[in-house]
Amino acid sequence: MEHENVLEYKKMSWIKICSTTEVAQGSLKKFWAGVAGGIPVVAVHHKEGFVVMPPVCPHMEEPLEDSGVVSGCKLTCTKHLWAWDLQTMSLEGEAEKPLKTYDTKVEGEDVMAFITEQLEYDFEEEDDMDDDDFFNS
Amino acid sequence: MPARNHKQWTANPPLKDGEWINSRIYSDPEIAQEENEKIFKNMWVPVCHESELPAPYDFRTTSIANENIIICRGPDNEVRAFLNVCPHRGMLIERRPSGSFMEGQASGNPKRITCMFHAWQFDMKGNCVYVAREKEGYQDRLCKEQVGLRRLRCEVKFGGFVWINLNDNPSVSLEDWAGEPFECLRKTLDEEPLEVFHYHKAIIDTNYKLWHDTNSEFYHDFMHYHNRVTGFNDAYFARKNEAFDHGHVVVGTFEVNYENYEGFESRADLSFPHLPPNQWYMVDLFPGFNFNLRGSALRCDTVTPLGPDKVLIEFRGLGLKSDSPEDRMTRIKHHNSIWGPFGRNLHEDLIGVAGQGTTMRPDTEPRRILHGRQENQTIHDENGMRHYYEEWGRWMDRSPIAPDMPFSDRDDGSQVVNAE
Repeated sequence: MEHENVLEYKKMSWIKICSTTEVAQGSLKKFWAGVAGGIPVVAVHHKEGFVVMPPVCPHMEEPLEDSGVVSGCKLTCTKHLWAWDLQTMSLEGEAEKPLKTYDTKVEGEDVMAFITEQLEYDFEEEDDMDDDDFFNS
Repeated sequence: MPARNHKQWTANPPLKDGEWINSRIYSDPEIAQEENEKIFKNMWVPVCHESELPAPYDFRTTSIANENIIICRGPDNEVRAFLNVCPHRGMLIERRPSGSFMEGQASGNPKRITCMFHAWQFDMKGNCVYVAREKEGYQDRLCKEQVGLRRLRCEVKFGGFVWINLNDNPSVSLEDWAGEPFECLRKTLDEEPLEVFHYHKAIIDTNYKLWHDTNSEFYHDFMHYHNRVTGFNDAYFARKNEAFDHGHVVVGTFEVNYENYEGFESRADLSFPHLPPNQWYMVDLFPGFNFNLRGSALRCDTVTPLGPDKVLIEFRGLGLKSDSPEDRMTRIKHHNSIWGPFGRNLHEDLIGVAGQGTTMRPDTEPRRILHGRQENQTIHDENGMRHYYEEWGRWMDRSPIAPDMPFSDRDDGSQVVNAE
């Protein structure tokens, strides 16, 4: 079932995420793009428009729906103050990595995002050593 | 013999070395502290079962010899253990008994172990992944790569139990330490995954060794009156206590007549894999871990000494992970009817050891405790305890008869007897 869903939204390109009235300016909200069990995104409504992006901060996977704050055109993850200008996408505050975003447009009252595959950040953990190597080193 | 005066009461019994011990080893705070240092900090300890952390990022906390420990399952499904101590200021990192790191703490992030005090964070492999104001505070003098958690030796083995050793270089591997006593149950416990269905813990005012003694001898059937008058057969008494290296004892199996226990039923339909019906196995590991399989249900108890006269006992009941809901209910009934707080045996065993604990408080006068029954190693024989206390003497380098005398100095019984 889940596999079929993946195929279904892989076929899609521009997907309706929400309507413009669902996310007040200066806020963000989490949605599931595509059919049930689809791709998690947040739609951010900043001063100049909408941006759809993965729902977590690229720093430490913090859910942006919990910790993201929108002020003017700036999105700040309040956990460790990583921030980005959503118009220029420049790094602000403590940010050390860029945001990944989906191409976003507004058609009438629909907020649309171009999604062919899920964007994710790499939070790879370092490997650890085999017990004997580790404890004898 | 008539009643005895003080001199007679405190005289040594006419038994050989090892057939009696000095009750001071159950009462002396200094000895209790030394046991933590010499035994528990160097021992393989079963801290929980892997089914108690079934999903990635699940964790449990525990302690061995006052050292606080986090056990967690990584995204790679590996179970690892760390000291539950923040490398920054020594804060206890995780305060919950169990849970999941999947959701971030208030000052942390998802999938991380977070110290609430100053928000340092660690991953499931013990790497430090976040130090608050790392650059501002430490410039380049210290970085997160240098302040990982203290990882501990941890193995999942013998039916999915999670074993930890605080010593990085234990004197013996887990396999070599307990492989032989577990041999009789290895196929049974490793055939398919097990699952914990019962957990309770109790703090009892007694010495941890007394609890293990109760698990190591089967002749306190005078106390288990209902067991004794129903259900026992000749095979019950013919079983042997088999001693293994490292102080372990296995009690031989036999077929229990559950139909003869009032209100009980045969457990044959729910036998653990590879077992004949209604068998009863008991593996006692030094210094206080007990695995007790009564056909359809496995019980495991572990001790954590909290002082000379206080012990935390954790009781777990396990069935097969593949159980149907109906089978699981039956298994739980089988478990609880013997070992539940309202079962036949558990409260009676606790009365026994609590009574011993009452007479052996730290300030009481040391007395002689007799382990001298010799009955061809059947269950009325006290060879299990004699074997245990020899191992205890070796680890502590103290004679169980005369605790101030080094175990290594022991010779024949008469010499030791004269020493105290």
